[in-house]
Amino acid sequence: MVKSFMPKTLAEALKICDEHDVCPIAGGTDLMVRNHQSAGILPTFTKDMLFIKNIDELTVLEKKDMHLIIGANITLNRLLNWENTPQILHLALQEMAAPAIRNMGTIAGNICNASPAGDTLPPLYALDAIVCLKSIAGERELPIREFILGPGKTALKENELLTAIKIPIGDNNINFYKKAAMRKAAAISKVSIAMTAKKEKDKIVNIAIAIGAVGPTVVRLAEAEDMFIKNNENTGKVLPDIYDVYDRQIKPIDDIRSTAKYRKQVAMNLLHYVYEKCIK
Amino acid sequence: MLYSDIGKPIKKVDNDIKLSGKAKYAADYNISEMLYARTVRSSCSRGRIKSIKIPALPEEYFVITAADVPGKNRIKFLTDDWPFLAEDKINYYGEAILLLVGADRALLKKLADEVKIVYEEIPAIFTIEEALNNVKKPIYGTDNKFADYKYEKGDVKTAFAKAATIVEEKYSTGYQKQAYLENQSMIAVPGKAGKITIYGSMQCPYYVKNALIQAIGIDSSKIQVVQTVTGGAFGGKEDYPSLLAGHAAFAALKTQKPVAIFYDREEDTAYTPRRHPAEIIFKTALDGENNILGVKADVKLDGGAYAGISEVVLQRSIYNICGVYSIANLQITGAVIATNTVPNGAFRGFGAPQSIFAIEMHMESLARKAGVSAIDYKMRYMAKQGDTTATDGVFYDEIKLPEMLAKVDQISDYSKKKKMYGEQPQFHKGIGISLFLHGCGFTGSGEQDIIKAKLKLCKKKNSQRVEIFAANVDMGQGLQTTFRKIAAKALAIPLENIDFPYPDTDKVPDSGPTVASRSIMIVGRLLQKAAEKLKQRWHEDNDIEIIQDYEAPARIKWDGGKSLGDAYPAYAWGVNVVETKVDPLTYEVTVTGIWTVFDVGQPIDERIIEGQIQGGVVQGLGYAGMEVMTNDSKGHSRQNNLTNYTIPTAMDFASIKNCLVESSYEDGPYGAKGAGELTLLGAAPAYAAAVGQAMRIHIDRLPITAEYILDEVIKHG
Repeated sequence: MVKSFMPKTLAEALKICDEHDVCPIAGGTDLMVRNHQSAGILPTFTKDMLFIKNIDELTVLEKKDMHLIIGANITLNRLLNWENTPQILHLALQEMAAPAIRNMGTIAGNICNASPAGDTLPPLYALDAIVCLKSIAGERELPIREFILGPGKTALKENELLTAIKIPIGDNNINFYKKAAMRKAAAISKVSIAMTAKKEKDKIVNIAIAIGAVGPTVVRLAEAEDMFIKNNENTGKVLPDIYDVYDRQIKPIDDIRSTAKYRKQVAMNLLHYVYEKCIK
Repeated sequence: MLYSDIGKPIKKVDNDIKLSGKAKYAADYNISEMLYARTVRSSCSRGRIKSIKIPALPEEYFVITAADVPGKNRIKFLTDDWPFLAEDKINYYGEAILLLVGADRALLKKLADEVKIVYEEIPAIFTIEEALNNVKKPIYGTDNKFADYKYEKGDVKTAFAKAATIVEEKYSTGYQKQAYLENQSMIAVPGKAGKITIYGSMQCPYYVKNALIQAIGIDSSKIQVVQTVTGGAFGGKEDYPSLLAGHAAFAALKTQKPVAIFYDREEDTAYTPRRHPAEIIFKTALDGENNILGVKADVKLDGGAYAGISEVVLQRSIYNICGVYSIANLQITGAVIATNTVPNGAFRGFGAPQSIFAIEMHMESLARKAGVSAIDYKMRYMAKQGDTTATDGVFYDEIKLPEMLAKVDQISDYSKKKKMYGEQPQFHKGIGISLFLHGCGFTGSGEQDIIKAKLKLCKKKNSQRVEIFAANVDMGQGLQTTFRKIAAKALAIPLENIDFPYPDTDKVPDSGPTVASRSIMIVGRLLQKAAEKLKQRWHEDNDIEIIQDYEAPARIKWDGGKSLGDAYPAYAWGVNVVETKVDPLTYEVTVTGIWTVFDVGQPIDERIIEGQIQGGVVQGLGYAGMEVMTNDSKGHSRQNNLTNYTIPTAMDFASIKNCLVESSYEDGPYGAKGAGELTLLGAAPAYAAAVGQAMRIHIDRLPITAEYILDEVIKHG
């Protein structure tokens, strides 16, 4: 039997993390599914469970200085209905899962689940989101691309909790999100793309593009984005080179949901669309 | 409440118990001392069992193997080849080998994981091609064919000799899982003197009863089968419950305790029967003006590892291969092929969806070749009253297709849009139309020769209440309501005075299985006749019991050996239009409009028919574009839940606009025909035609995934 801990404060929770090998659980929409058993059998968790839902400090949702702070307990639905949620993230949330899951699931959970197909990840990569990690020893911050190491793998240490997500407040004025999946709701992405950009006086001065489900982690290529911005007077010239960068670094696989061929083609189609149509 | 107009919708009689959660499904039964059975399955797709090592079982835990089957260890179907529990041979990944029985389901799982089975593997056959190329040892007989059919109509030889061109095309379709809400569930309760009572989710209580009589080798009076509230079936609970009831019964007999088997979604999705994948080849002889002279068609169904009821599925495939078209010269061959995969079985449409998809797409293709619109080409061959069917039977009744086509064009603007989308390829929009029919009731002479349905109606002395005794089940399709409406109308008494308990084989006569869109048209008609007789005797001062036997309509002639004559007593008809938009970046299809027109005779309840249409069309669209099921290199299903086996959600398609045409069938109750299966048949070909137009490709397979569309787009440049 596993133990359940239900602390009321972050300090208590961090102490538990330090003393026990626990698995934090907020909404449970991934963990309960992953560990479920046939009817009549309890879910089989391999670690003691740390329920964080009662910790008020993890339920913050605020605009502070130059950042949006999203606590680890904030549900997808709450974000969907928050006026400060960045548009690119909002677009992804609208299509994500289904209402029941959005009511329970958290964005922190989506990050810690570290699936290459995680729906909030491409927007978070594009937004340069930062994760806040705390342990009894102190706290640290990591850009999301350094936090997620591979499918199901993160840089979270055993005694740490992901307490919040920080998103720099930006003024991007063009956003595009597309998810290809088997159906229009409650579907896992085959390939997805999130683009956010800023246009000033007919010129793109800032662009971020992240592609999901085409590799072990979300693909965002600063090299390509920089090439585009540096040549923003005459982008037509560099586009073939930019596509070449993507073409070399997008290496999807075949799996139960789709094929490598489809993922690659659709990712490239979407990149062409984004660079040539969206930001025109 | 009295009915002058039987079609007028009423509230379904079971709405309240189902919406409130009071309805008692099998898994809600709490029987004292009940044990659970867990199935241990093969992890080998073909081979022999060399050894089985069972872990030490705690007290009151049991193992059930083939040796515990008291009678014949074969499920009773047309061909008795499917063992309840494997003896030494294994024919598919997931085949049931033994059951572990006990009180604690978590412990049972742990014990099941510890069972060690060693196999001697035999090279397995996974595809129709492999099954027929004679390289590996056959699974069944000498040719791997569970059934092999051939029939002809007219003079196909002369037709082909005169042909200016012969068009050959191949179509293929994939699996489809019934994906009912309630998984397969069964409980067996041992009674006195060797009696066994089965409670479970099922379509055919008497199939289960007859299967158990053979499997236990016991007198009919010792087997009682009671249907529990059934949360959807779609054909999936026609054949498989016989196997499950066998498992539960063997365990109950051995342990002398009630034993329940409740499949979870993984087990149900991966190891229970699905719709047969099909490969269909047309060779069509055309004259110089591209008119059809004759058609040769070959249908191959992947039957999976055991014959089950596949032969009957094949019959429906080959007898409906011409769809709504009357073709003078035909040569049809068909076979069910054995492969080392999960045995396939019944699913709404029963072999017809594969054929209707193929013929409709073939007609599209012939129309393109002829340079005329699909609809104009189809209209040339559309059957009229008095024309002959594929099996040289007669379409006796009026065929309202012209009226239905006019109606669908009016509500969908099909003709205008078809032309417009043809001229605007840059928008990637398309619209498709399908014409289809469904032979109502059993194929061939099944009703009079095999089923011989019987229904009973009773009224007690001094009572105003009437009880219906029939073996047909409500599985969500509304039979609890529609049967009561038929009886209430015929008797001119309030609906509330009609009782229709869930079937219990100790009480109800065998009115046949709840399949083949037969319950209303065949059994409902018996009910109407019985009720009319009872009405005549209403004044009698004693208990009244009316037994009504099935009588075949006099006009029906059928020679099964030759596949000649009237394969069905009547046909229901449909026309569907589906409009799509394809995303040229992701090849994803959005359904932007659905229009349907159906002729189901007199609806017994318009809202229930509307429900059948909503559900059938959406299930058909899932079959068309979304529901992918494939096997891995061991023949093991890659899809095993509703996350990876994607059925449509309410978000996926535009809403359906439907019209019913006025129609009445003389041998159906108040003019009703079958409706349940018809509604699924037309969605896939209409969707395929729409996607084909949107992307300028020819669709020749289901499901039409985005990956397949991409491949075709690349192929067509």
